[in-house]
Amino acid sequence: MSDDSVPLALPLLRLAAGSLEVTTLYRELRKPLLRYLVCLGLTSDEAQDVVQDAFLSLQRHLASDGLQENIRGWLFRVAHNQARNRQKSYHRRFSEPLDGEMDFLADDATPEQRVLEKEKFRRLAAAVQLLTESERECLLLRAGGLRYREIGEVLGIATSTVGDTVERAIKKLAEKCNV
Amino acid sequence: MCEFQAKLIAFLDRELPSEEVAGVERHIEECEECRNRLAGYELVNGTFDAYCDAVMAAKMRRPIPHWVPVLASAAVAAVVMFLAFPGKRMEPPVLTPTIAAASVPGPMPVLAPPAPEPATHKKMHRRHPVPAVQERAVKWRPTETAVQIAIPAEAMFPPGAMPKGLNFVAEMSIAPDGSVKQVRLRQ
Repeated sequence: MSDDSVPLALPLLRLAAGSLEVTTLYRELRKPLLRYLVCLGLTSDEAQDVVQDAFLSLQRHLASDGLQENIRGWLFRVAHNQARNRQKSYHRRFSEPLDGEMDFLADDATPEQRVLEKEKFRRLAAAVQLLTESERECLLLRAGGLRYREIGEVLGIATSTVGDTVERAIKKLAEKCNV
Repeated sequence: MCEFQAKLIAFLDRELPSEEVAGVERHIEECEECRNRLAGYELVNGTFDAYCDAVMAAKMRRPIPHWVPVLASAAVAAVVMFLAFPGKRMEPPVLTPTIAAASVPGPMPVLAPPAPEPATHKKMHRRHPVPAVQERAVKWRPTETAVQIAIPAEAMFPPGAMPKGLNFVAEMSIAPDGSVKQVRLRQ
């Protein structure tokens, strides 16, 4: 898990729409949000639209004196719900989660490194496809730096359930990837 | 099975209650099996993280619009046409009799006065004196290469239109009369 899992403690009491703090939040959270959304199955354009909408909602939320605690969890929840709404309104499935092209290794990688990395990712991708939707979402939110409590808030499940789900998912991946 | 195994992932995620953390840390130092499992879980975490990054990088890479290769091909075709058939546009009409005169074998002196113009050109009104052109024609040897240029592929295509990994340089030798002597592609 990345270091940014520490809860954000920004001076949100002074936060106003368009202020420097919103910009700081945007810079800090845009990439994790995008990554979560594209790994969830959205296209690049859809993910960027959802992130922009989420930050617009944040501005409205803060301008109307909404709660200022756990903004990161709030943003992920809004983005997650918007992504699911899009899925429902378009009556379609997203592309398979984590279904990325395999041709994304660094240009300076040696052929041997490429083969090893591809094989490692191939095994992981196959294992990820065996996870349930809930397990995938928990892992993705956890990789985005959210704590179990925040993940529970985003997905609307208990913190203890998140712990069990994450543990089950990690053990499945470890077993399938032979580690 | 070791009773601490159920706590390893929560420990890794710093989700264990603080009063349990020290006990798990002590146990990990003593239990090789738990140590190995913890290392395995960390490896899975790292791989999953890297995979998410890679998926994002792959999905966020914008595809080249369909019109770009078409436009690039048209531009290349235009350049080739321009270089392959320069005579009709570039060669000044005054060169025609000069070259003809220079190529006539025999004792004609190199800087001889202009030969009588062919009948078909008689009605043409010349403003510039022919000898000057003739002198240039004598100094130049049309078969000699005057200019050699090398155009890298990136310069011929719009930015981003070149397929990744493909690169070449077009080398062209252009004669003094403007005709292309040689076009060669090299990697």
